[in-house]
Amino acid sequence: MTQKCYDAGMIQAFLDGELASDVTETVARHVSVCDDCAILMATAEEESAAAYSILEQEFNTLVPTQRLWTKINDSIEKEKKSFWKPIFDFLLQPQAAAFAGLLLVAVVSVGLLTVKQNVPVDLTAQNNAQEQTAIQPILNNKSLTVSPTLPSAPEVKNVPAVDYRPNPSVFRAVKIAYVQREANRTPRNQPIKNADAVNPALTETVLGEASYVKTIATLTETVNNRKDEALDSSSRFAFERDLAVTDDAIKQMRKQVRENPRDEAAKQILRSSYQNKIDLLNSVADKTELMASLR
Amino acid sequence: MIFTSTTARQISFLIGAFFLFAPFCRMFAQTVPVEPKIVIAPANQKVATKQNRNKVFRGSETSAEKSIVVDAKVNISLCIAEGRLKINGWERSEIRVFVGGGGEVGFKVLQKNKQNNAVWVMVTGFGAAQNREKSGEECLSGEEIELDVPRGAVVNVKGSASEMTIEAVRKVDIKIVSGDISLNNIAEGINAATYNGDVTVENSGGAMTLESANGSIVAFDAAPSEIGDIFKAKTSGGAITLQQIEYRQTEISSNTGSLKFTGEFQNGGQYDFRTVSGGILLVIPEKSSCKLNATYGFGRFNSELKLDIITENNTSKARSIVGSMGKGDANVNLTTYSGAIRIKKQ
Repeated sequence: MTQKCYDAGMIQAFLDGELASDVTETVARHVSVCDDCAILMATAEEESAAAYSILEQEFNTLVPTQRLWTKINDSIEKEKKSFWKPIFDFLLQPQAAAFAGLLLVAVVSVGLLTVKQNVPVDLTAQNNAQEQTAIQPILNNKSLTVSPTLPSAPEVKNVPAVDYRPNPSVFRAVKIAYVQREANRTPRNQPIKNADAVNPALTETVLGEASYVKTIATLTETVNNRKDEALDSSSRFAFERDLAVTDDAIKQMRKQVRENPRDEAAKQILRSSYQNKIDLLNSVADKTELMASLR
Repeated sequence: MIFTSTTARQISFLIGAFFLFAPFCRMFAQTVPVEPKIVIAPANQKVATKQNRNKVFRGSETSAEKSIVVDAKVNISLCIAEGRLKINGWERSEIRVFVGGGGEVGFKVLQKNKQNNAVWVMVTGFGAAQNREKSGEECLSGEEIELDVPRGAVVNVKGSASEMTIEAVRKVDIKIVSGDISLNNIAEGINAATYNGDVTVENSGGAMTLESANGSIVAFDAAPSEIGDIFKAKTSGGAITLQQIEYRQTEISSNTGSLKFTGEFQNGGQYDFRTVSGGILLVIPEKSSCKLNATYGFGRFNSELKLDIITENNTSKARSIVGSMGKGDANVNLTTYSGAIRIKKQ
């Protein structure tokens, strides 16, 4: 093999069929004799397959959405026709036109007065519309927002359905976002409240650490919700100080145990520090409970 | 051309005139001053605030005193909103309550025995003629609150702000938000917690759990009343000082405070001392018999007594020393992260 290897971008462009025919042939010839590029291409193909499978549901849901809007639009058009026709027929009569004109003036006057008196306007419909637009796309990348907004009435006819499959460049961006997300995968829909709480079972440094971490996370949530009412300024200061000291001990000893898993002394201090933190948090939780019982 | 009909013209004129003048009528109506609504509050209305919610404000500020005949092993429950509380055990089968400079006092018998003596009594902040619905909260309040109770009584106290002294009763269970607790001659067990104050226990027995958030804990001359009684003391920021504690199972912990133990280790005893940044000091007899496991991080270890080292591990951030004294009857675990561990001769 004399030719230089291709990068991931070129390989992906090859897979997406974006290269010119002569370049495509060159790349194909090279890949057939280069193990590294063959592996790279296989990896890219796997990632593409994974991204397609993940986005399949979204692809499938977009087309019915367009159909649905088309149906809604047709229904609206039908209703418009059936409703306005007799009204226009009625207004063609001269007496009715005069009466309607006066009535219109009256309604506008009353309406202006009503607005001046700050009568609250019912915004329910607007809010609902905004809520409907809050359908979140699967991906976090804003440039790749899939179906972000529900069109207003005049735009109903031209709702575009987004399908990435015919557009390789967009799909590639989608796939990159997916691959990056997979690489930095964290549990979905679980906000990380405590650094210690990050998947403790996988990083358990001492026996029973997961239990300690779980207990601490629960207590921390309880205490954080109530410590403002339970602790006065001096108690709060003491609490935060003790908590900081304990957290520092936990952090240092966790680091030490990770570096040296056979360090029994560090493990002992770590367990002790965990227990001290639980005691500290329990103390505040118990105080809150007592104060509540006295009310 | 539009107005082809006379009737239609008349109707249109009337409606137009009405709506033409309607806005002016409305504007005029808006200029008429509206008489404001004035709500007169009752003159004697009490405002419920957090500060006075639990207080007993009924009655005069004079003293109140009441007594009731009870069983010798009566269980007494009371709540203290504010005031210094003194409970003293006496030989009579009777409870006497005195409240000075506060509200009223009453008893609520919750349970009686076959001899028709009260075995469970609640001391309330309202008299017998009143009831809770009329009188409000049940917590006692006053400058001085004194109770004389049978020596065999079990006393349960909860409160928000109080200094408590309890002597010569069988058992005590206390939880207060703020205030010092002093206990003396409690025969069969103590469970005491204050979240802002000190706890002092003297000459007592039974299982003990002493807790303070910011304050210190001092205990001396304490022993189990039954086999298996445990002594526990924990505080977040305060120190713990123990002297002549004769429990075989002892658990002492503080986050940032120091721990001091003076006395002998019991044969077969299990002693755990934990602190994060505080020091640990053991003052023990020269002929102590224990197996000692000292673990510390950035602190140091020092012993005046001879310690036969069994194992010693040193890493960059943690060290442990396992050694024995005498026959090694008791197990003593000392753990601190950044404090010093010292063993001194008594």
